[in-house]
Amino acid sequence: MVAFKGRALVKGFAEGKAVVVDEISFYGDVDPETGMLFDGRSLRDRILVSYKPRGSTVGSYIIYALKMNGASPKAIIMSSSEPIIVAGCVLSGIPLVDGISVEDLKTIKDGDLIVVKEGLVLVNE
Amino acid sequence: MVLGVEGMYLTKEEERILGGEDGWAKAKALEVIVKVGESLGAERLVNIEHAHISGVSYRNIGKHGEELIKSFADSGVRFSVKATVNPIGFDLEDPSSIPYATIDESYVGHQYNILTSLKAMGADLTLSCTPYYFPQVTSIKEGASVAWGESNAVLYANTVLGLRTNREGGPISLMAAITGKTYYYGLHLEENRVPRVEYVLDNKNNMDEADYGVLGEVIASIHEGINPPYLDISLDEISLREFLAALGAAGNLAMVYINGVTRGRVKKGELKKEMIYRKEIEDRREELGVKERPDLIYFGCPHAGVEDLRVIALQLKATKKKFDGKIVVTTSRGTIARLGKETIGILRSHGVRLIGDTCLVVSPFGYKGLRIATNSYKSLYYLSKRGIKVSLLSIRELRDVIEGW
Repeated sequence: MVAFKGRALVKGFAEGKAVVVDEISFYGDVDPETGMLFDGRSLRDRILVSYKPRGSTVGSYIIYALKMNGASPKAIIMSSSEPIIVAGCVLSGIPLVDGISVEDLKTIKDGDLIVVKEGLVLVNE
Repeated sequence: MVLGVEGMYLTKEEERILGGEDGWAKAKALEVIVKVGESLGAERLVNIEHAHISGVSYRNIGKHGEELIKSFADSGVRFSVKATVNPIGFDLEDPSSIPYATIDESYVGHQYNILTSLKAMGADLTLSCTPYYFPQVTSIKEGASVAWGESNAVLYANTVLGLRTNREGGPISLMAAITGKTYYYGLHLEENRVPRVEYVLDNKNNMDEADYGVLGEVIASIHEGINPPYLDISLDEISLREFLAALGAAGNLAMVYINGVTRGRVKKGELKKEMIYRKEIEDRREELGVKERPDLIYFGCPHAGVEDLRVIALQLKATKKKFDGKIVVTTSRGTIARLGKETIGILRSHGVRLIGDTCLVVSPFGYKGLRIATNSYKSLYYLSKRGIKVSLLSIRELRDVIEGW
């Protein structure tokens, strides 16, 4: 088991399998109706791990739409967050952790079992 | 002041609002502001005097954006400060007025719902990207903090009006309007408003607004950091607006310091100097120039002011040609109301299409391969992304093109 300590910007508890997207923009990369990514993977009920988020104006509303459609990730973990994503997570109540280095995040693979407890991220406990 | 749970200093009043004493909507809105502030490392919040709300076009935010805004409005919450609103996807008085665009009834209905929610919370539905031309904004006292979305307006606020704002994206300007607060960060802090680098143009004679747009692109590509670049240039209102809009489109800057325009401290002796050569601007301008006959000529991105329309009318006065809607100008209702009779008469008799509340960038305008010419680098930047072939044409060059049209 590996544990990382980050900062819980939106506090919460979540448990699920990781989906790792190195760079994500919620506008364009995700279908807000289904949670499907441009590459065919799904965010639904997963723990989204992203190294580099890109903010576009609509991003917050896409995150909110994912939540309303039951297609949202259970939590989002990133190295450094970005205002549009923070706003989206607060409005949707999706736990958000930042402050974990890209190096550490890169040890997480698709399908790893992740537990998010506030700022604590447990991998394959 | 008490220490907030997450490390940001919050006042007792702010703690009270976060606790839900003013209702869930205000608590949620403040939570967004606080969390975004924390993520950026802001120490506290700052009271604002005005908000300019962007992200209101249905085409942009979709039905979930509409629902989210409605849920806030339905809670009965009212804005804590005065707020103006960015353009929407069509002209309210004539939704069909945008050429090469289809606006269906359902779109109009959804857009009206968004406007109804904003109005219910107390928004002033100016539907313009140039809030700085409205008296309710120009009367705000210099030095005040505001929370504005819309990059060109943010640049204008910091550079020309002496207001303090960051570029508030997404729903953040809306949340700031609800709470009357934003995070104390970036350009709200004096130290970030002091220029450190001066860009010296070797030849600044006879530049038009399209040249200044290209200058904006050049500076956006070389300037680093948040502190404003310093420039000693003298430019008219149209060039100033197009320059700032280009800077906002091509990069992340939120302010420039223009000698004689911007107020604030500057230590001229400590400015690091960087040269920009006119040749570079001319070459780029040539590259972006009109090479094929455009299907449409477009002015008014950002929204044309009274002066733009007067100058365009002056250019057209010399010709008897009618353009049958092939010259489009987008502007605000406020500006249309202030136009002189002669200007309106010339524009109308030459078949210029004057459109309010929207612009070609935020409306579902155009198709791949359509050719347009515009004096706006900003619209070139965004419309090119849609596959529209955009070239640069300043107002003073208008006559050269229309003679052969």
